Amino acid sequence: MEACHGVDATAIAQARAESLVREYQTKLARYVRRMVGDAEVALDLTQDVFFSAYRMLQADPSRELSAGWLYRAATNAGISFLRRRRVLRILPLDREVDRSTWRVDERSAASVDLQAALARLAPEQSAALLLTSYAGYSSSEAAAILGTTPDAVRQRVCRAMRVLRAAMKEGMEG
Amino acid sequence: MIGPLECAAAERLAGAIALAEASDDERKAYRAHLSRCQKCLREFGGEREIERVMSVLTRARDEERWEPALRLTPGRASARRGAWIVVATLAAALALVLGVRSLERPGAPVAVQAISAPEARALAALDTQTGPKREARAESLAVGGATFSTALQITVDRRGRPVRCRISTSSGDRAFDESICRAAMRARY
Repeated sequence: MEACHGVDATAIAQARAESLVREYQTKLARYVRRMVGDAEVALDLTQDVFFSAYRMLQADPSRELSAGWLYRAATNAGISFLRRRRVLRILPLDREVDRSTWRVDERSAASVDLQAALARLAPEQSAALLLTSYAGYSSSEAAAILGTTPDAVRQRVCRAMRVLRAAMKEGMEG
Repeated sequence: MIGPLECAAAERLAGAIALAEASDDERKAYRAHLSRCQKCLREFGGEREIERVMSVLTRARDEERWEPALRLTPGRASARRGAWIVVATLAAALALVLGVRSLERPGAPVAVQAISAPEARALAALDTQTGPKREARAESLAVGGATFSTALQITVDRRGRPVRCRISTSSGDRAFDESICRAAMRARY
């Protein structure tokens, strides 16, 4: 895009990127945090999404970047993080280390339980569940973001709900 | 006899109910299915039960107070980047061992502690916030299940800045070694 009336294209890209961050950072980072279960990772991933948006706007300052685009990028980043982390999960855990410093984001017991239950979900189920009931998209909107059908989203939500329900039951019994 | 196709349809109906998108007819169809299918009733629950489970999530969302503060645009290389590189490389490997030794205490005994996987992610990055405490400068971090490991020695100056990274035992994967070193050199000790 050519500079219009002396306004630098980079400045336009920067202003647009900044307003995207201001408008969506809270929603997006909270969504990613629920998905990956770790505030620090969520900040990293979300920051990367906004940096990609910035780079795209630098290349073409007039490009439309919707909330859906941000959520799609964040979802893909979250899913690939969860898949990579599965490799790590086979490492033995040592509970002797003080974990308190790592628990930066859980304040109440209920929140911990929910996060533990979310951690049991397959990445795709987690994304479908959180995009809809946490981020507020309908099943068709979530389907467009995830590149699938509304029925598939509903099915994933149902399967995720089943896992949450089982976890809640265990919590009550235990 | 209730076939798997009918249960798959029930899953979609339960999902629609969970998302408050189900029409009256869909709700009716779901109830009709539950009346004949113990398995779905047991696994998904009735409409109220589904709504109750989902309300936990919406309540968590409504009570969320976490306010992330992100950078508006990329400036100089992000300090967070270090953590991310190690996440990517750790996924390819199974373990690493980092040795951190201070100039002030050459040859000090190196304490080894096993840490869990998520902690390994952060600790391995030796990020400012998650690195060893300043008063415990001679330290080594180990991640268990060593089928693949890197040992490296970081030389740290008096102010806790890394000045040199040396691979003492290679993992065999040069890219992995180098990325661990890069992350370690970004940290403060």
